[in-house]
Amino acid sequence: MSPGLLFLAAISLYPTLYSLVVSFMRWNLSSGEAARFAGLDNFVGLLTDGLFWNSVRVTLVFVFFSVLIELVLTFGLALLFFRGFPGDKLLRALIMMPMLCAPVVVGLLARFSLEPTYGIVNQLMRSIGLPTTEFLGNVDLALPTLIAIDVWQWSPFLFLILLAAMQGLPEEVIEASKIDGASWPRIIWHQFLPLLRYPILVGVLLRLIDSFRVYDIVYMTTRGGPVDATSTMSWQIYDVGFRAFNISYAAAFSWLLLLLVLLAVNSLIRRMVARS
Amino acid sequence: MKASQKRSAKLRIGALGVITAAAVALSGCAAGAPQNDSGKKTLNAIFLPADWGKVVQEKLAPEYEKETGVKVNVELVGRDAIHEKMATLFAGQDSSYDIFNVDYNWIPEFGKGGHLVPLDNALQDKEDFLPLSLKVATWDNKLLGIPQTVHPATLWYNGALYGDQTMKDQYQAETGNALGVPKTMDEWLTQVKFFNGKTFNGQKLSGWAAQAAKGFGNVHTWLSFAYSFGCKPFNADFTKSILTTPECIGATERWSEMMMYMPAGANDFTYDSVTTAAQQGSIATAIQWSWGQFATDNPSASKTIGDWQMTTIPTGPTGLSSAHLAEWVISVSKYSKNTEEATKFAVWLESKKNDVLQASNGGGDPVRVSSYSDPTLTEQKLEGNGAARFRRLPVTLEAMKTAQPRPFFPGEETWETALSTELSAISLGQRGVQDGLSRANEAIDKNLSQ
Repeated sequence: MSPGLLFLAAISLYPTLYSLVVSFMRWNLSSGEAARFAGLDNFVGLLTDGLFWNSVRVTLVFVFFSVLIELVLTFGLALLFFRGFPGDKLLRALIMMPMLCAPVVVGLLARFSLEPTYGIVNQLMRSIGLPTTEFLGNVDLALPTLIAIDVWQWSPFLFLILLAAMQGLPEEVIEASKIDGASWPRIIWHQFLPLLRYPILVGVLLRLIDSFRVYDIVYMTTRGGPVDATSTMSWQIYDVGFRAFNISYAAAFSWLLLLLVLLAVNSLIRRMVARS
Repeated sequence: MKASQKRSAKLRIGALGVITAAAVALSGCAAGAPQNDSGKKTLNAIFLPADWGKVVQEKLAPEYEKETGVKVNVELVGRDAIHEKMATLFAGQDSSYDIFNVDYNWIPEFGKGGHLVPLDNALQDKEDFLPLSLKVATWDNKLLGIPQTVHPATLWYNGALYGDQTMKDQYQAETGNALGVPKTMDEWLTQVKFFNGKTFNGQKLSGWAAQAAKGFGNVHTWLSFAYSFGCKPFNADFTKSILTTPECIGATERWSEMMMYMPAGANDFTYDSVTTAAQQGSIATAIQWSWGQFATDNPSASKTIGDWQMTTIPTGPTGLSSAHLAEWVISVSKYSKNTEEATKFAVWLESKKNDVLQASNGGGDPVRVSSYSDPTLTEQKLEGNGAARFRRLPVTLEAMKTAQPRPFFPGEETWETALSTELSAISLGQRGVQDGLSRANEAIDKNLSQ
């Protein structure tokens, strides 16, 4: 085995397999007791745990809406930018900025900005006569607010991919469609979308995988609350693993998250391939 | 490229990898080395980035090095991260760190695992320590941490507001009673209702504020209500959650009712949010940890310097006043290679002189009884104000007589998580009090059975 493969196995494969082994054990990190075999107990426990199913629901809602909004938004933005206009470079740089911030910083910024009494967002809202809103403390608003934060931070990523892909489209195809009298909506629907299928697929897949893992923003803003409105799977894994130190339960949880991501990604790829 | 050259290149890369890995490993191990480059003994400690951690890092550790030649590297790490680090390092029996700043509710957890060094023999003058402070640093009859700071919950009230004649007259007219420091929960509720929505010094007031965010915030505030109403969250041996007793229901109903008189966004309130509201003068009263009074006397951040006064938590229906206790201790890792040196440092940190010095430098409230009458503290005045800088100390001392710790058993953090979710639901009106507490019982009992 080459040194590179050995290194990869040491830092990636071994921990992954070890976590699978741990998921079949009963092991609390702080108890001082040795881990012991527990069979499928952790998985059975999870599948009958209301908190687990709540976190699955919250995660799926978060992933679906954040990726969908990001895709629609950035497709529109890319269409706006791909032909260029005066000042587009500066605007493009500004659009990129949120992506350059660490998610922890974005979370902290959001927490301060959205604070009901002193936060700038509520101050601005009050100045135009709107009522004070608890964006992060309201059960119905907390998850949409986190989705909005994610869209703000990660739309630039999809924008970058779609813009690059659009700028690489063969100009003659667009020109030919125009000569044939096709309107812009028809060109977008019949030319752009089919030609951009694979860049869109790659971008969406990457965002999908990333969104499933959302943790930093939750940690910095809501800590899974209010009640358990923003308790995503990653947050629950952290809570179980690093507050309760139930490492084996957290490992089983992680494997179920991995399974969910694989299912989602696989189903998306199959659909795209079937259509093509 | 020739085969021999390829082999040579592979060897070089391999050697580089081995050297890099060795360097990384050694740098990790170096943290636990007993001596540094200059031959001095070195200890590695983790403290909370609160004032008491900063005092240790900036003042006391350098002084200890001057006195003894032992260097103490102090890292300041957030509360959650300390807990995580301790568990992971202990699980690996890692010797990188010798000393940990420990929230006392982790003592049963790490004490049960046998990860902390017993310090009974090291502490020679236990009688000078606040008895409760030692009690919560003890597990299985072993002292596993030396108390560093206590800060029981207290009832804060804006003295300027309570002394205002217009407010007094209005209160008398509206309630038929004289406005005074609240002694009972009922009296406090009446005052909170009265103040809520009033304007004072150009600020619209809310009746009170306290930590209410999901997590330990709402649990810690709720505990002061629970204890003062005579609610005991557990049976005697911590095997069953008993949150649906009339006392617990009464306490939760009152806590939930009081939430209506907190500022906008209160369900998300952390310790800092309460402090900010107190500094701005936008609340009339608060439940807040005692040592936080420093922040309201800070001229660069507060509009209410010298105004905030304290009293003990108002009594519940049984006539009991009992605050939730907050305390941090200094513990020594069993896996340290320098347990003796580390113990000496921990004991030195809480010598009589240093207990006062820490308090004087903003490092939390003292843990020694004698410090509470030390003139260094009792005679200090706020610059340009004249109010006593440590005016809270008599109240802290009084509160420490009846304060109660969080449920003192190894699963406390998990208990907090389960309870805080239901308290969050109750305070947001998502669930009724009885329903929420029943659900909390179920969740806690399920955790206990695991």
